[in-house]
Amino acid sequence: MKQDTMMKQHNEKIEAEVSKTMNLLDEFVPLELHHQFRVRLMRRVESEIGLERGGQYFGIHFDYRLAFMALIFVINLASTLLSVQQGDESTTTISEVSFIQSDNYANQEFAYYDQTAFYENQAP
Amino acid sequence: MASKEKLFRTLVDQHQEMVVNTCYRFVFNREDAEDLAQDVFVEVFRSFEQFREEAKLSTWIYRIAVTKSLDHLRRLKRKKRFSSLKRVIGIGDPSEEIASPLHDNPADACTDSERASILQDALGTLPENQKTAFLLSKQDGYSNQEIADILKTSVSAVESLIHRAKKNLHDKLYAYYSEH
Repeated sequence: MKQDTMMKQHNEKIEAEVSKTMNLLDEFVPLELHHQFRVRLMRRVESEIGLERGGQYFGIHFDYRLAFMALIFVINLASTLLSVQQGDESTTTISEVSFIQSDNYANQEFAYYDQTAFYENQAP
Repeated sequence: MASKEKLFRTLVDQHQEMVVNTCYRFVFNREDAEDLAQDVFVEVFRSFEQFREEAKLSTWIYRIAVTKSLDHLRRLKRKKRFSSLKRVIGIGDPSEEIASPLHDNPADACTDSERASILQDALGTLPENQKTAFLLSKQDGYSNQEIADILKTSVSAVESLIHRAKKNLHDKLYAYYSEH
């Protein structure tokens, strides 16, 4: 009998704890908003939406395919410029060689090439 | 654009307290509730054009508040799991264990904080629809019809959810206090 009473008291104690804990939800005092809440919110909205708008603008005008094409174009342009530059260098080399060659023929050793041939009845 | 902003300001004026207090019901923490309320209004501003007048505007806003709060709780749960894993490994940060007080009085704060933590843990084990229906029913301003609209269900289903949530919560708390 005593055990039953103790058990009952124990259960009642547990029930009381359960009710107290569950009653916490009923005792919630509604929050009063922080006076800066609205200011912070509007600031955040402005910054986030502003960023988003920037992103959207970028998103509309920025196409990956277009970017890839631009990249290809730049690569092509660069390689063309490089090859033209190299081509110029090689042209210079050839012209230099031809100049050297022509210069060599202008030397004293090859001077006779410049002289016109003499005929038998022609005095030197 | 100016009219949209004007309308938004009016919406914030009308619903800010309800939104903050709804979030507070779920997260039990003022700072988190205000941060979540800000997220809610940013989302409202962002997807304002997507709002279809199938539901009331207020219902739509409170639904966003509920979704954000539940997301926050899920994140917390994951974080808790991760920090307990870190504690097992031995790299846990003890400051993560300190609960934020609900009261200014330290004695009350200690008891209430402990009780709130127990309650929050028990609520965390409830299915989300039960938890949502139950917590919203505890807040002034939500009728069962409005809760049903937020949860996109019927009033009778909401009543059933609240009843089951109460019973489950009672059983979980009873089991907790029996062991401790």
